[in-house]
Amino acid sequence: MWLGLPFRIPHSALRIGTMTQPTAIPIGRVVATEALPSSAHQFHFWTATDTAIGIGAIVRVDGPDGRVVHAVVVDARAYSDLMTPLHDVLAAEGDPAGAAAPTRRTEIRLWTANVLRQTPEEPVQPVPLSEVRLATADDVEVALRMDGYLRGERPSGIPVGLYSAGGVTSPIFVDADFLLGPESAHLNITGISGLATKTSAVEFLLSAIFQHFPAHKGRVAAVCFNVKGPDLCFLDQPAQLTEAEQDMYRQLEIDPQPFEKVSYYAPYRPDGVNLNTLRSCPELVGSVEPLTWGLREVLDYHEVLLNRDDVDAKADAFIDFLADRVVEKEFDDDWGGKHRVRSFSDLERLFRAIFDGLEGQGRSDMWRTHHIATIRKVRNRLLNISVRCKGLVTDDGGVSDLPFGAFEDRRVYVLDVAGMDQLGQDLVFTRVVSQLREHLERRDLGVEHVVVFVDELNKYAPQDGPETYVRKMLLDISERGRYLGLVLFGAQQFRSQVHRRVVGNAGTVVFGRMDLDELATPGYQVLSPATKLRLATLPKGELMVRHPHFTQPVFLRFPRPAVLNGRGGVERFPPSPDVSFADAVARQLAQLDRGIAPARVKDLIDGRREDDVRRALLATRRARPRPRDILGFFQSKLPAAVPRQNAERPGAGTHAVVRPLEDPYAD
Amino acid sequence: MPTEPLMNPVPTRARLREALRAMGASLSAGRLASNPIAPIQRPHAPAAMVEHDRIRAIPVRPLPPPPVVGFLDGIQRYSHEGNLGLVPVLRAHVAAMVQLREDGRLRVRAKVEKDFLVAPVARLTPAQRDRLMGLGLPVHESRAEEMVHPLVDRQRAVEEIERAREAIEHAAALQFVSDCPDFLLVVDGAIGEYPASWRAVGVAKSHETQFLSGPDLEVALTLPYGTRTSVFARTGSAGRKVHTWYLRLWPWEGEDLLYGLVRVERNADDESMAAATELSGWLLSERTPLSSPDGRWDRLLYPIHAVEESLRAQAGSWA
Repeated sequence: MWLGLPFRIPHSALRIGTMTQPTAIPIGRVVATEALPSSAHQFHFWTATDTAIGIGAIVRVDGPDGRVVHAVVVDARAYSDLMTPLHDVLAAEGDPAGAAAPTRRTEIRLWTANVLRQTPEEPVQPVPLSEVRLATADDVEVALRMDGYLRGERPSGIPVGLYSAGGVTSPIFVDADFLLGPESAHLNITGISGLATKTSAVEFLLSAIFQHFPAHKGRVAAVCFNVKGPDLCFLDQPAQLTEAEQDMYRQLEIDPQPFEKVSYYAPYRPDGVNLNTLRSCPELVGSVEPLTWGLREVLDYHEVLLNRDDVDAKADAFIDFLADRVVEKEFDDDWGGKHRVRSFSDLERLFRAIFDGLEGQGRSDMWRTHHIATIRKVRNRLLNISVRCKGLVTDDGGVSDLPFGAFEDRRVYVLDVAGMDQLGQDLVFTRVVSQLREHLERRDLGVEHVVVFVDELNKYAPQDGPETYVRKMLLDISERGRYLGLVLFGAQQFRSQVHRRVVGNAGTVVFGRMDLDELATPGYQVLSPATKLRLATLPKGELMVRHPHFTQPVFLRFPRPAVLNGRGGVERFPPSPDVSFADAVARQLAQLDRGIAPARVKDLIDGRREDDVRRALLATRRARPRPRDILGFFQSKLPAAVPRQNAERPGAGTHAVVRPLEDPYAD
Repeated sequence: MPTEPLMNPVPTRARLREALRAMGASLSAGRLASNPIAPIQRPHAPAAMVEHDRIRAIPVRPLPPPPVVGFLDGIQRYSHEGNLGLVPVLRAHVAAMVQLREDGRLRVRAKVEKDFLVAPVARLTPAQRDRLMGLGLPVHESRAEEMVHPLVDRQRAVEEIERAREAIEHAAALQFVSDCPDFLLVVDGAIGEYPASWRAVGVAKSHETQFLSGPDLEVALTLPYGTRTSVFARTGSAGRKVHTWYLRLWPWEGEDLLYGLVRVERNADDESMAAATELSGWLLSERTPLSSPDGRWDRLLYPIHAVEESLRAQAGSWA
């Protein structure tokens, strides 16, 4: 069967030759008048009124000279021989409810089709006045130029859905070289939330990529940012598919299974032990890794957290000084103190020493060429980060991160940041993507291609608004990512509100159910009114896809992803309420070793400082290879027990040093 | 000094129409025209009363038509292609079609067409005749008058084309009747030439030949909308008797006398009186859809119009 194959060659790849034979029965005829002429790119044809074709159907015209034209239907009109509506009023004697006409008026179905491909390609000529036939599956392949990448020794097609029209169903493939680079890259999907099935489409597409991406093109992984709800929290859990959906999977040659390899990451809640994720059901929470960063991880991306209004050139210079000269280095203040700053707590101690020193000195407001006001400002901003992003950013320097450098082929890395505020989401996104880019540049990430899925692009890369670090980063990925293998799969409700360089650089564009107001914006001028109307009424599971090989967009259906959706996941695996500190620690250790009794853990941590326990827990979780004696290892990482009253004494521990600031933006 | 009597001033159009109305006239649309009216070959023909002693106006109500009905029409086209000496040579195309209406939908059920040449062959030399015959089209002979007259010769040729068209219509009707003997066939025009065994109904919209006179004619030509006349009988050219009556499809007030007026024909039998009311009823319901943009829409049934349009479209470049 399919399992075990690194990639699959579609059956269509086995066909030989590009010229296909027409179907027997014509469904229409090309018509051209002086007012409505045929051109090389568009023509008109009529059909019977009870034809099976509709907007988006692919048709074929065979000219008398052997020329074959493939085209997609983009518009339709119907009219009768009624000269003026007034005549209908007269005939009905002004009564719409009058007797029905015994004869139906002569009526025409007039279709407009945009040319997808002409064979031969040269010379480019108007479409001949010939019979029109419905495209067969072979025709669809030729019409969309899929024959160029589905055939040969190294096919590179990725199935994206099924084209259906007039009883013809045909799988549609996109070219991996144009989806994941290097020729073109990136995918942008747009549509109304809840109706456009954007997340489902991306989940399905990732599954298709993982199963069909050719091995000779390298390894591929995906990093998904779960920015709202439980959408991406159950990618490893199977969905119940109907027979019809399974049949669609069969036609697309995709195994309808959930993702085999998924890694989940989520920050802690402010308590530092309960994970901030909706995948917190006891059955699943063990598979969620904490995402925690320390001072160094944050300082490198201070631009994300501190906007230009906050930080002027002087503050910038001081932050650079801290990053270059202070952090993780032996540093002497000017008053005999020695510092090695590894955490926010260490940084606060340094700031306190500086302020105390300057106050004691009493003769200068300057320290190492930096004014005390600048130092106070930077101190407020930086320490505020550990408050606002508490759970992600640790005071004490504990780091739990994605396995940069050891990414696995065909593994999905989900970062559940839905519970974080905007600042935290921005920080996670920027740092993760920066790390991906740096590792891809050095070719040491572990895979050659990474798909980064980001929803709500209009929030992260808006067309209008201030220039943010996140937007700059998205622009950078969009414009240069394809050379590195860094591929952006972006989704948003309103494409017009996303920066045009971000959407413009997406080689493959997918449209789900659209809002009519959005369709009225200039970006959709190239679409016919009928195409727009179809977009505005698309049912769930249907999409319109634009791809560099397709001359015109094509409508297709895709099956529901074989993974549990967010709502279903939350119903089946209800999130657990946060538990007490002791219970949370016991539970996490029990996930590593089911034999550990919670009571023993509670006894062990009783009377200890929570920060010490957190550090020991994190060290235990991240220990590789995994210790055989989990509890023993955990205990070995705990410092010697101290009396409770000392631990709780204000100012004695790290927790007390980093005080929440009443006005974090005060100078 | 004697003075000339004062001439009455020329009345305005409005005053003229008002005066006519005051005199009891029914006003027409008053459309301007400049073309001469073609001479009417047979203005009068005899008729015999059938339903009543004198013609009466009988109200009818719209009725649903039969579920399946055939409609017949034919077209003719010709072109004067040239002259051999003074002898005109016309090329002609005649076609006839029956479309069967089922569930409101019209579908072609029978079609006959013919392309041919027409010329007064008697005036041609044997060599000319042979060459004309060898062109690949049948040659119909039109009547050759004693004296050559280019317009009369062409008129005779057109008459031959009309005869050919009638023959083609007959052939199409025969085809339909053979295939569908149980269905009514509505014919555009008279049915006097058709066998009595056919279930044909004629709807004549031109009134060149009048069968009534005096008060009967006045009743017929001033029929109110939604009424028919009493049934009367006329005799076809082959001596076959048919029953016929007038039916007003649209109000004619403000238009001319013949506006919306058709004459319906059916086989002469004892059922004609009952059939006249039923037939008139469903012909009234045939007013919709309107057969616009044809200028004869007030009398032209839409299915007949559709058949004619189909024939014209299929005649292609003859248009």
